[in-house]
Amino acid sequence: MSSTSNAPTGSNRVRIVVATSVMLTFISYWRAAAIILNDLGSSAFYAGGIAEQAIGKSAPWFVLGVMLFAFAVRAVYVESCSMFVRGGVYRVVKEALGGTLAKLSVSALMFDYILTGPVSGVSAGQYIAGLINDTISIADAHGWIPSAIHHLFHGTPQVGVNGTAVVFAVAVTLYFWWENIKGIEESSEKALWVMQITTVMVVMLLGWSFFTLFKVGGHLPPFPTLANIHYSSESLGFWKHSSLPHTFAILGLIIGFGHSVLAMSGEESLAQVYRELAHPKLKNLKRTAIVIGIYSFVFTGLVSLLAVMLIPDDVRMKVYSDNLIAGLAMNMVGPQVLRLAFRAFVVVVGFLILSGAVNTAIVGSNGVLNRVSEDGVLADWFRRPHKKYGTTYRIINLIVGLQLFTIIVSWGNIYTLGEAYAFGVVWSFVFKTISMLVLRYRYKGERNWKVPPNLHIFGVEIPIGLASIAMVLLSTAIVNLFTKSVATVSGLIFSVVFFAIFSFSEKVNRRKHAHDAAQMQEQFQLQLAESVERETVGIRPGNVLVPVRDYNTLNHLKWVLEHTDTHEQDVVVMTARISQFGSAAYGLSSEQMFSDYEQTLFTRAVSVAESFGKKISLLVVPARDSWSAIAQTAHNLDSSGVVTGLSSKMTTAEQAFALGSAWEAIPEPKRQFVLQIVQPDGIVDTFRIGPHTPTMKNEDVVLLHRLWLNVTREPGLENIHHHDILTQALTRFARDYGAHEHEQIVKELLRHGTEAGPLPVRRIADQIPTVQPAPARPDRDDTSGDPEL
Amino acid sequence: MSFSVLLIKILEGMFVAGWAGSVIVLVLTGIEDVGTLLDTEDEASR
Repeated sequence: MSSTSNAPTGSNRVRIVVATSVMLTFISYWRAAAIILNDLGSSAFYAGGIAEQAIGKSAPWFVLGVMLFAFAVRAVYVESCSMFVRGGVYRVVKEALGGTLAKLSVSALMFDYILTGPVSGVSAGQYIAGLINDTISIADAHGWIPSAIHHLFHGTPQVGVNGTAVVFAVAVTLYFWWENIKGIEESSEKALWVMQITTVMVVMLLGWSFFTLFKVGGHLPPFPTLANIHYSSESLGFWKHSSLPHTFAILGLIIGFGHSVLAMSGEESLAQVYRELAHPKLKNLKRTAIVIGIYSFVFTGLVSLLAVMLIPDDVRMKVYSDNLIAGLAMNMVGPQVLRLAFRAFVVVVGFLILSGAVNTAIVGSNGVLNRVSEDGVLADWFRRPHKKYGTTYRIINLIVGLQLFTIIVSWGNIYTLGEAYAFGVVWSFVFKTISMLVLRYRYKGERNWKVPPNLHIFGVEIPIGLASIAMVLLSTAIVNLFTKSVATVSGLIFSVVFFAIFSFSEKVNRRKHAHDAAQMQEQFQLQLAESVERETVGIRPGNVLVPVRDYNTLNHLKWVLEHTDTHEQDVVVMTARISQFGSAAYGLSSEQMFSDYEQTLFTRAVSVAESFGKKISLLVVPARDSWSAIAQTAHNLDSSGVVTGLSSKMTTAEQAFALGSAWEAIPEPKRQFVLQIVQPDGIVDTFRIGPHTPTMKNEDVVLLHRLWLNVTREPGLENIHHHDILTQALTRFARDYGAHEHEQIVKELLRHGTEAGPLPVRRIADQIPTVQPAPARPDRDDTSGDPEL
Repeated sequence: MSFSVLLIKILEGMFVAGWAGSVIVLVLTGIEDVGTLLDTEDEASR
């Protein structure tokens, strides 16, 4: 069902249908959970160590407490998503508290996102450096390090942990910077794969840890009483010289909780993936929340607990504070080589999940800044798309620049990074939860679920659950302001600077946007539609879809217009706005969907159409990836053909395969169509997308005919047709492929595909005895007698 | 009572009351979660 805006009629302006919903391939809650856990689960690698550095050996209880409380915070997100499909912090705060506080909250969220990259990258680097150093130490202990090298380094050679972590973090950040500039297409498959490997590691880690506990025993960490909380010199911040933290028991608990709160960073991703969840959305969101809740409680919570129980006190903080899971691996029972191998596995998993978090940080920040720029609070200069890749490269440059600055300034100090990170995490939650409280009274729209319990007194609802969560978060955030001096100062400076940029940009843009909108409306008339429907675009079935992206390469559009009678067949020119996971919840307004780039692109397309004197329909669709967008649009519009240009990165066959794969992902019933790829030299390759009769080689046809001749000589098989032979052959092939001859068939197909050229049909045909043609008895499939299929 | 102490008392009160309420949230949502997990109707494929 599409809902269109009331566009003015009777205008000479070119109408463009702008679909406002991302063409998503909806995902299961397992995949959604995997995407979130790639961010949320990564904190298990550093949260426990940071908390223990701040408050001592009782830290695991606080981490467990935070992970338990995270279940309640998730409930807030479930409620917000039940109200808004894009129920992230910015949307909710803006709805509840207005633009000014929304800008402030988004500044805190940006602080959170921008620090996610450095903290994850540095943490991964710490794990790698720790592994290198321990491996060298073990080799040295076995006398495998030559004495010359020993002398050169004045002892056992070791890499600088922080320096290595900085180099690694910078390299990973630069890698993902380039990937994002190019506009990588995210896949839930990759996230699921990373989480599957992580799960293997978690199961092994927990299993081995409990076995170790069983063999050597262990003691629970001291319970979190005031006497057991040992503040470090840095953990009290502005209260360093105050007696207050040592006097008030509950204040001690809040301080401990505040130092552990970064363990639940990544909850915001829940709001971002909600749009992509398959039906029934709310139920699947709850399932996702349960999965990530249990997983992060077990992983982050139990790992922190086991680390204190198994790693000896004298080395835990001294050696393994920044790579606690590696320390856990090295302190299990078992041969040293096995422990070292497992530690290497931990480092590989850490590298995967933490590097993924670096990417998430860039994607998420880009999404947030794109979203706020929709409202005109970021200068257009930032949104200008990359000439080649069409990505908002200036925003990405800004984000990555800030991340690199943070990495270098912190110089690999994961504790400082983590402490600062917690500022963004807790304040974005505070803004979100308080806004949800306000919306309980101000929002009158649909709300499918509420955080329980809710009392009703004289008809007034008292949201006890929501208020309780807000109180815990607010008290923790306020105490953090005093105890995390670096975070408070850096967070406030960052937030104030971003807030100032947003406010200044908004003022400048307000005037400019009014001018631009008027200018654009002279040329194009945007019609917003929730989804792509043939009726909305106003075209007939059997139309031709022409995807375009680069306004310098519109030869395929010219070819279509040359060969199409637009009175008989409509031509739809579409462009896809690629949206990544992190930005799926954002970036969907008409202004963003139809940027200056799309305006230029369509101006050129209209110009081409005008030169042919033919009419075209214009369409913009947001999508996860371009091939899905084309396949889904062709499906929705009942297109009979898709005509595209040659990709600069793929061959025509690869393009056809990619589109075919996207078509396969569309649920039945679906229409087949023809793909034509117009190459720069004018050669057109044609492919049929979907099941179709294959083009048969002559020798195949001869083989089939010979088989048919032989078979029909068998008594009782005189009436067999060519298609019966094919049916039987395919049935046997399917049976063999699914059973014992699978490997052999794959080998033969591989050989055929890579080296041997065509399958040895002739040789097989030669083995079949040649028979004299049967008396003229034309096959019923083929009245000519020639078995053309 | 100084301002700092008053502030701390308020914050402590908020934290304790908040946690008490949050435990109720956890229990109630936990019961609901069990139902959600057991309900396999409309379960999306993996």
